[in-house]
Amino acid sequence: MQLAISAQGIGKGFRTGLWGPVKPVLRQVDLTVAPGAIFGVLGPNGAGKTTLISILATLLLPDTGRAKVLGLDVVREAARLKERINLAASGAHFLWCMTVSDSLRFYGRLYGLGGRALTNKVEKLLDLFGLAEHRAVTFERLSTGLKQRLALAKALINDPELLFLDEPTSGLDQEMAQHIREEILRLNRETGVTMLLTTHNLREAEMLCTEVAFLKGGQLISEGRIPDLQRRLGLGDHLSLIFKDSPAPLDYGRLPGVLRYTVQDSRVDLVLDRVDERLPAILEAVYLMGKKLTKVVVKPVDLEEIYHEITHSPE
Amino acid sequence: MKLRTHLNKIWAFSTRSTLVNRRNVFAIFEMVFWPLIGVFSVGLLTRFLSLSGETVSFILIGAVTMNTVQIAQLDLSYALLYSVWSKSLKHEFIAPVRLFHILVGSGLVGLVRGLLVFVIMGGLSVYFFDMDLGRPGPAGLIFFLLGIFLNAAIIGALVLSLVLRFGQRAEVAAWAFSYLMLLLCGLYYPVSVLPQGVQFLAQLIPLTYFLDYFRHFYGFPLTSSHPLLYGFSQTVVYLFVSYGLVALSLRSAYQRGILLRLSD
Repeated sequence: MQLAISAQGIGKGFRTGLWGPVKPVLRQVDLTVAPGAIFGVLGPNGAGKTTLISILATLLLPDTGRAKVLGLDVVREAARLKERINLAASGAHFLWCMTVSDSLRFYGRLYGLGGRALTNKVEKLLDLFGLAEHRAVTFERLSTGLKQRLALAKALINDPELLFLDEPTSGLDQEMAQHIREEILRLNRETGVTMLLTTHNLREAEMLCTEVAFLKGGQLISEGRIPDLQRRLGLGDHLSLIFKDSPAPLDYGRLPGVLRYTVQDSRVDLVLDRVDERLPAILEAVYLMGKKLTKVVVKPVDLEEIYHEITHSPE
Repeated sequence: MKLRTHLNKIWAFSTRSTLVNRRNVFAIFEMVFWPLIGVFSVGLLTRFLSLSGETVSFILIGAVTMNTVQIAQLDLSYALLYSVWSKSLKHEFIAPVRLFHILVGSGLVGLVRGLLVFVIMGGLSVYFFDMDLGRPGPAGLIFFLLGIFLNAAIIGALVLSLVLRFGQRAEVAAWAFSYLMLLLCGLYYPVSVLPQGVQFLAQLIPLTYFLDYFRHFYGFPLTSSHPLLYGFSQTVVYLFVSYGLVALSLRSAYQRGILLRLSD
């Protein structure tokens, strides 16, 4: 199976000032993304997310390393690769005096579309993103949400096989951000397009991404599926057992999958490896002790914990 | 790649330039107001000085040339500045676009706008100041226009190169470049009145030869033996050099992250 993205040893630095030293922004980054995935690149500000995405999107030349996107080298075969990728970025910016329709037609032509094919494509995208009634509105008069929808529509003008999404919901209100996320998921489901997205919003990454990678100080410090990362980092799901009177007299540390626990009054808080698999056995053990539970709270580990663990660990 | 695909990409930049010009009242102002001011201020000055018909033509040719070159180079110079101002540069360069799509597409609009300015100013000069614009004949006119449009393309390409290196700060260069060139090429005066050292610089500017060629139809002696040969030879060299400079600047922009910086 050909990988959608395969990068080895990517490094990039920028000179500070005209003659100043080169400050490294990316250091020896390796990355693989499977076709059809929605892959999230996470990290604090200045981690190198945009630099990485820009190198993969042929907008920036790497200093070291090699990267292939859709089987094509991002440096030597950039011209061919550009035909098959596209980008939607936060804070969409297009020419202020061009209407929604003009903008889509302009970008369509940049991909070689013309005549009936261009018209059909533009009409389809206007409908798909609810932009048809705003077709004659110039970019400067669009609301932030409509601008972002236009950015996504533009990113699909060439039916890309791989889409780069740089903070796609940044600056949008909750409702619009949710709408865009649903749109992204629908596109991925219906067209199978691979997506590489950067985001600060961990909930967004959790909702959208099948896999994530964490960048810190220009280095990729962790990569994988969220449950795998959880296990690798020793993080667990949370289970709280609240008893009617005193807790069941169990050695909670010996129960299956328990990583750690605390007991306080009538409440036992457990951190478990894969709560969904362990819960029946734990509840059975409690039941056998004859103790009544008033409440059971399950909270799977979230990306925020993983992010916190990774970004606060020493480099 | 198919020819039609290339044409669509070129057409993309042509339509964009046209739209900006059509929807920007200042672009229309640029095309009509300044040329009017140019013709009348210079024309009336020649009337006040009671200059001979040939000398009036000499000066008006300068005024028409200056405005035509200025307007013709603008669309090319602005080709990337539009993207810089709207922060959309990365969207243009993530697309499979080559330099010649940008240069030809925007340059075509510059050509049309330049021609319009030439016709407007030429018409006004003929009507109000009795200039005989038809004296060089069709061939003379075509060679002259070809020369000044190619020179406008060189200026535009050099500005593009600066935009890719210095971003918005290069905006000033779009005007400064052409004014400097026009000062040296003997726009309102023969090159012979320039100081000796500067005359040498004038000989390195193709427009000097095209003005020399066009003015000899109005009775002014040629200052070079083969103005068209020198003019077009230099033009071809400069076109290659300026294209190379833009290509180098683009490569450097990819390397130094300028495309991204200009999109933020």
